[in-house]
Amino acid sequence: MIPRSLRLRLLLGAAIAFFLALAAAWIAMTLLFERHIERRIEADLQREGLQLAAGVQLAGDGTLRLNRQPADVRFTEPASGLYWQVAGPRSTLRSRSLWDQELPPSDTAQGGTWTTRIVEGPFEPRLLLVERRVRPDPQGETVLLQLGHEEKSLQAARAEFGAELALFLALLWTILAAASWVQVKLGLRPLLSIRREVEALQRNPHARLDAASVLEIEPLTRAINDLADARARDLERARRRAADLAHGLKTPLAALSAQSRRAREAGAAEAADGLDRAIAAATTAVESELARSRVSAIQNAPPRSCPALPVIEAIIGVVERTEFGAQLVFETDVPEDAHVPVAEEDLMELMGALIENAARFARRRVRIGGCGSDAALETLTVEDDGPGIEPEHLSKALMRGGRLDEVGGGHGLGLAIAHDLAEATRGAMRLSRSEFGGLKITIAWPRVHAPA
Amino acid sequence: MRALVVEDDADVAADLGQALQNAGFVVDIAREGEDAWFKGNVEDYDVAVLDLGLPRMDGLSVLKHWRGAQRTFPVLILSARNDWTEKVAGIESGADDYLGKPFEMAELTARVRALVRRAAGHASPLIEVGRLVLDTRRMSASYAGRPIRLSQLEFRFLDYLAHQNGRAVSAGELAEHLYGAAEPGDSNAIEALVVRLRRKLGPEIIETRRGFGYVLAGGGA
Repeated sequence: MIPRSLRLRLLLGAAIAFFLALAAAWIAMTLLFERHIERRIEADLQREGLQLAAGVQLAGDGTLRLNRQPADVRFTEPASGLYWQVAGPRSTLRSRSLWDQELPPSDTAQGGTWTTRIVEGPFEPRLLLVERRVRPDPQGETVLLQLGHEEKSLQAARAEFGAELALFLALLWTILAAASWVQVKLGLRPLLSIRREVEALQRNPHARLDAASVLEIEPLTRAINDLADARARDLERARRRAADLAHGLKTPLAALSAQSRRAREAGAAEAADGLDRAIAAATTAVESELARSRVSAIQNAPPRSCPALPVIEAIIGVVERTEFGAQLVFETDVPEDAHVPVAEEDLMELMGALIENAARFARRRVRIGGCGSDAALETLTVEDDGPGIEPEHLSKALMRGGRLDEVGGGHGLGLAIAHDLAEATRGAMRLSRSEFGGLKITIAWPRVHAPA
Repeated sequence: MRALVVEDDADVAADLGQALQNAGFVVDIAREGEDAWFKGNVEDYDVAVLDLGLPRMDGLSVLKHWRGAQRTFPVLILSARNDWTEKVAGIESGADDYLGKPFEMAELTARVRALVRRAAGHASPLIEVGRLVLDTRRMSASYAGRPIRLSQLEFRFLDYLAHQNGRAVSAGELAEHLYGAAEPGDSNAIEALVVRLRRKLGPEIIETRRGFGYVLAGGGA
């Protein structure tokens, strides 16, 4: 079964591959070591053999005589594993170590060059045998020189070497596996950052993935970004359609209420009442859809900012023309170039709702103030000298839960809508009592936004 | 009294026409922008009700054309969009009032009547005091040749001072004039109004005579 974890998969793959490679290395190195030892022994035997050959004399009667015995003490110990034998035509000389045994005769040995073969030894199963024919006397007959070395010590050396090598390779395998773990971890890190960025994308649809610095991941991030763009476009289109639909319904609604009035004049008061109720319900639905669409449009827009005072003055210019605004003094205490972290059209809706609301309840004065650091405003306040809201009702005023607050005239965005708008622009709205006696509304934005 | 109704929806237009007729107006109806532009330019209306969403030429352009041609009759704009950006654009293009759709017909006729009342009733349309010129028909002002938009309250304040021939007027008297009956705290509102006017027109426009009250600059005496 293939594990589900990519990391585990890569790790397992690497560990198995390393193991196979190191096992092959172990086999090859052990073989090479064995060959090397064999060659060393052969060389030793050949050197001894040459010394032996130098001391061999063939007497006239065909008997052999050795001037000098090889020095290695193992030649004198019986069954030591190291043997020599010189076989002439009529007699044979052999080392003490051979005791009563002899080395096997040879058909393959040649003169002038050493040949090597493995034979069954006198006291051991395997014997490395080097042999050569030499002619001690240029006119005489050849004698066969043979030197043997048991293979057991060689196998022991090989086993020892193999064990040590295996230990070392196991250590190497551990290190390589650890290295590949680190590699996998580092290699998968861009995926982790992609996950974080995708999570950020979920929270803020305008965020885009930035892990494109990795060449192999770039197609993935680009695809995700394209997907996010497509989603944003779809959302925007759907939102625009909903808003268009809501706007488009307004004129037919006005026409319907004209019909209703005509019906009433013609005496169908009951039908007109029903019509009016339906119109009122449809109007409320349309208004709240528009308010919702505005709030979500703000939430999905990238952060922007605008100078506050021109917007506020423009709104005052409108409210001053309304019936309730005409008799009021509007004071502005907002620094001229100060910016707020809200897009201009959103600030217009927000402050429009608040200033209009204040103007509805004010007696003589409405004051709009702003404070913050340097050019970036953090709070805007709107206060009036109207009756205000009793302290125990202040908290309830905002709790109409995002519903359209029908404050007079059937077209007002009330405090609750202003509250939604403020929250959509990442601001917080607070109600308190003004020093003028009326309501004071404070909108505070967090400090992080820089002026545009 | 003549009124122009500009509205593309036939039902709403007929309804508006009927309501204004009942209110005593002689009503012309235009169903699209270019027709409205033409009618407003050649006829003398006392008031116009202008829908912003019109075929061929949108309401704001019609309004700008009228104002550009010095047609000064009061205009009430109607709009389905009903957002503040559009309200501000409408007022800044020269509209005098704004009503969002759908609306109560009674409110519309009341607003139209108020606009007409505001524009009428002044025998001499222009009053000059020093560098300040008050246009009593448009309820607007200019100072040193620079046009200034005034609220109704601001206009009435300046209008009252302009008629005093340089006499200093106390805050209490001004409050009584502006609000009908003065209440405690109103002098603060008057003070705030003076601050706002000084900011709009320049600090020298209204002088404070300590112990006497306010006087317009250049008003004699």
